[in-house]
Amino acid sequence: MTSPGGQGGGGALSTRGGGGARRMKWALELSAGNTRSRGDRQGGQGDVVYPIGYSEKPVPDTSIQETDKNLVEKRCWDVALGPLKQIPMNLFIMYMSGNTISIFPIMMVCMMAWRPIQALMSMSATFKLLESSSQQWLQGLVYLVGNLLGSALAIYKCQSMGLLPTHSSDWLAFIEPPQRMEIMGGGMVL
Amino acid sequence: MEKLIVLCLKFIILCGTVDAVFEDQVGKFDWRQQYVGKVRFSHFDTHMQSSKKVLLATENNVFAAINTRTGELFWRHVDKAGQEGSIDAFLQHGQDAVLVVGDGRVLRSWDINIGGLNWEIVLDSGSFQSACLVGQQDNVKHVAVLKKTAISLHYLSNGHQKWIENLPESDTVDYQVVYSGGNGEVYALGVVPHSHITIVVYSVEDGEVVKQISVEAPWLSDIQASCAVVDQGILTCVDSATVSLYMLDLHVQSQMTQIPLQAMLVSFATTGEKTVAAVMSPKNKTASTLNLFSAETGRRLLDTTLIFNMDPYGGKPEKLHVQAFLKKDDSVGYRVMVQTEDHTLTFIQQPGRVIWTREEALSDVVTMEMVDLPLTGTQAELEGEFGKKADGLFSMVLKRLSSQFILLQAWVAHLWKLFYDARQPRSQVKNDVTIENLSRDEFNLQKMMVMVTASGKLFGIDSKTGSILWRHYLDDIPSNAAFKLIVQRTTAHFPHPPQCTLLIKDKDTGLATLHVFNPIFGKKSHVTPPTMTQPILQSIILPLMDQDYAKVLLLVDDQYKVSAFPSTKNVLQQLQDMASSIYFFLVDSDQGRLSGYRLRTDLSTELIWEVVVPTEVQRIVSVKGKRPNEHVHSQGRVMGDRSVLYKYLNPNLLAVVTESTDLHQERSFIGITLIDGVTGRIFHNAVQRKARGPVHVVHSENWVVYEYWNTKSRRNEFSVIELYEGMELYNSTVFSSLDRPHAPQVLQQSYIFPSSISAMEATLTEKGITSRHLLIGLPSGGILSLPKMFLDPRRPEIVSEQIREENLILYAPELPIRTEWFINYNQSVSGVRGIYTAPSGLESTCLVVAYGLDIYQTRVYPSKQFDVLKDDYDYMLISSVLFALFFATMISKRLAEVKLLNRAWR
Repeated sequence: MTSPGGQGGGGALSTRGGGGARRMKWALELSAGNTRSRGDRQGGQGDVVYPIGYSEKPVPDTSIQETDKNLVEKRCWDVALGPLKQIPMNLFIMYMSGNTISIFPIMMVCMMAWRPIQALMSMSATFKLLESSSQQWLQGLVYLVGNLLGSALAIYKCQSMGLLPTHSSDWLAFIEPPQRMEIMGGGMVL
Repeated sequence: MEKLIVLCLKFIILCGTVDAVFEDQVGKFDWRQQYVGKVRFSHFDTHMQSSKKVLLATENNVFAAINTRTGELFWRHVDKAGQEGSIDAFLQHGQDAVLVVGDGRVLRSWDINIGGLNWEIVLDSGSFQSACLVGQQDNVKHVAVLKKTAISLHYLSNGHQKWIENLPESDTVDYQVVYSGGNGEVYALGVVPHSHITIVVYSVEDGEVVKQISVEAPWLSDIQASCAVVDQGILTCVDSATVSLYMLDLHVQSQMTQIPLQAMLVSFATTGEKTVAAVMSPKNKTASTLNLFSAETGRRLLDTTLIFNMDPYGGKPEKLHVQAFLKKDDSVGYRVMVQTEDHTLTFIQQPGRVIWTREEALSDVVTMEMVDLPLTGTQAELEGEFGKKADGLFSMVLKRLSSQFILLQAWVAHLWKLFYDARQPRSQVKNDVTIENLSRDEFNLQKMMVMVTASGKLFGIDSKTGSILWRHYLDDIPSNAAFKLIVQRTTAHFPHPPQCTLLIKDKDTGLATLHVFNPIFGKKSHVTPPTMTQPILQSIILPLMDQDYAKVLLLVDDQYKVSAFPSTKNVLQQLQDMASSIYFFLVDSDQGRLSGYRLRTDLSTELIWEVVVPTEVQRIVSVKGKRPNEHVHSQGRVMGDRSVLYKYLNPNLLAVVTESTDLHQERSFIGITLIDGVTGRIFHNAVQRKARGPVHVVHSENWVVYEYWNTKSRRNEFSVIELYEGMELYNSTVFSSLDRPHAPQVLQQSYIFPSSISAMEATLTEKGITSRHLLIGLPSGGILSLPKMFLDPRRPEIVSEQIREENLILYAPELPIRTEWFINYNQSVSGVRGIYTAPSGLESTCLVVAYGLDIYQTRVYPSKQFDVLKDDYDYMLISSVLFALFFATMISKRLAEVKLLNRAWR
């Protein structure tokens, strides 16, 4: 993994060094001052001598360094609005799956119910993600509301499928037989 | 929620759709025993030397042939029940057996080899007396039938009448026996009691009176009871008063000769030229000796002694049926079938070897109960540990360890036995059930059937195999007795033995006795039952227990006073405390009175309600309450809109059936009244006009099903009544008949049933979760398992969405009989008189016993076997798939790890 870093370093060198350096097949710089002159890329560790071609940070990091504050914000809103965006899709799935009870609608409903719950459970992780945003609390609230809406939708689906114990018949099995107050016996005269 | 359960149920049903029996399941869970009843006539088939048949005609109107080697049935014919089919006479000649049936109404001839009917003719009316075969020189061609006033002669080949003659002086002389000696004459023997015998001789050819004489016989009152014509016209009579034998030669007509004897029982038999009398005389208390006497000389024959050991739990010998045969050395040998008071048939060979025994008392079972078998010793040991008082931690631990060790030992022994049995060929492994190794099985499917028979003999039968494990004959049973069997203590209270009580009431005197016994071993209990001096009206079993866990039995005498059994201080104290909540009712069908009583603390009673049914209009036929061991799991029914219609589950509800006294088909009716046994409140009263009994009723949960004959449409009909409390429960925690202000909603519907029925009962399961079926005994011998779903007054006429949701069947007037509903496939059960159902340890399984002439035991699964793996469940496949999958996951896991590692190194 070190070799591309080395080449990249070589690339940077060539752009700055100009035509004179280009003519050389290769060059070795041993002084610390030289490394500093390479730019602020490796500036922090100026007093440590690294082997040739070693690059401490991976190359793509440069882009993060360049991200805009707005971009972070946008990304955070994306995360926060994710659950809400899923709702129309869920509605469509709900409509398609119908109210009959069979294995596929049950699976769909389970998925629909499980995803918001899972999201709500990992709320703290999401908050950490939103930490860098300025509108952290608003985004968090939107995220929460989106998930709650999602689970409400799932519950509504369960309700319309008849899976919620909301009727008296659902509690019928738990009614204990009443206790007898009188003892009675008898019959035809033998 | 509800739908989810339904979905699961559907899966379960899909997994096990087998309803009928597979061929290899025949006889696996069920057994049938066929009986013939108390023997009235018997003939040994002697027309062939090698024949091994004995023909029996019995009081249960059965004509049967039994294998004398094994005691099994060759064939059997069951005639109509009652007087109409009763067998009055039985004659045998060669291959033909001639029967006179129905008080001389029908003359029938059967082929004894195959049991087929040769011919049948209807005789002139008249009270039947006797019949005999008439022949000339060993060539039997006719049958003579003697009636009260006439004698007729019929051809043996086709039954046509040859001649009929009136009897002289038939108003004073009681003609009882007809005889023919093979010389062209027919002798009609009549008796004037305690005076003389009249003999009228007819000619076979034209029926003319040849001669008429009378012989003095002052000791004789009944010829049929004490006399027989043996050999060449020798009338032999036994006088039990003087214990002597009288002989009269009908051809010579001299005085009667008297031979003194010392005997209990006598039977005559003829073989070849010789006629012998087998005489049984008591030897000691447990054995009797049999000897053969020559009928001509009255001398005892040598080497003919046979010893009959009496069963200590059986009755005394009552009748002998002798099969005599000539041995090679021309001496007479014999086998004898001894019939005892308890209707047992024992076939004995010289010198006393019992070849087979048939318990014919079981053809007349009156009542029965099923009792759980006791736990095994080790199980009981473990149970006992919890029952005992704690005495220190250390000893408790020791006790626990020792019982665990015993269990381990038993398990190892069991494993060893399994292994040992597996090595033996299948046929050699015997699974004999004896009274010693009886123990409850895992699912409590094997129980002890305690059967009470009309003869007073009690039986303990293993429900799994049908083998009789104990028998006990009660010899002091009155002829007109009513029985009531009560289980007072079940096997659940180790170490107290289970206890059953049989209440025997003499209907003539009203006096009752109690027989207390252990239902597992049949032994009489050491508990002394109370002696009852007052006539007893009814008994009530209370859920109260004494300190020994025996339920309290209350006996109501004719003064309406109550006595308790057991009546210890503890019990009396409990009764005093509970008295205000103990009620009972009595139904007197003679006076048409239903009355309810309440117990007072001093064990006297007070009348609290009374309903009188006018006896001149209708009479009370039966009263059905609910079974005390019935559990109802669901307290309501789910409607299509998912609301609940609550059932009206009144445990005190009674269904009273009345029939009109007027039996005219336009005016007859039956009535059914639902009445509360505590308060006497009438909830519902239905009258079915133009209907007639017999009414069969089943009362269970919140429904009553009854069946009757519709005289107008001439068909059998079922009617069902269901009671509902409504959409709200009045009080869901306690049920008191005194505090139920709202009357239940009553729904009723009727259906046509394509057959008459002989018995009906509902299935019963442990928790009442399984759906109910009605078990219906049909006269054809089938036992039908009809789902209760078909008898549902909510069956609609028009389909709607909600109805479909509720899974109701559309109303159709006819109830179907589907062949796969017969639980006894081709094992017909004759003359079913009762069906008994008992729950097993498995919720899906209900044990069924149908009794009548035959006994049939099986298991039914009204909702299929949802809690048991099927018999042919493929354990091998499933376990091999499981193991394969397990190993596959292991291997693939390992492979995945290796691959990951490799990728990491790359």
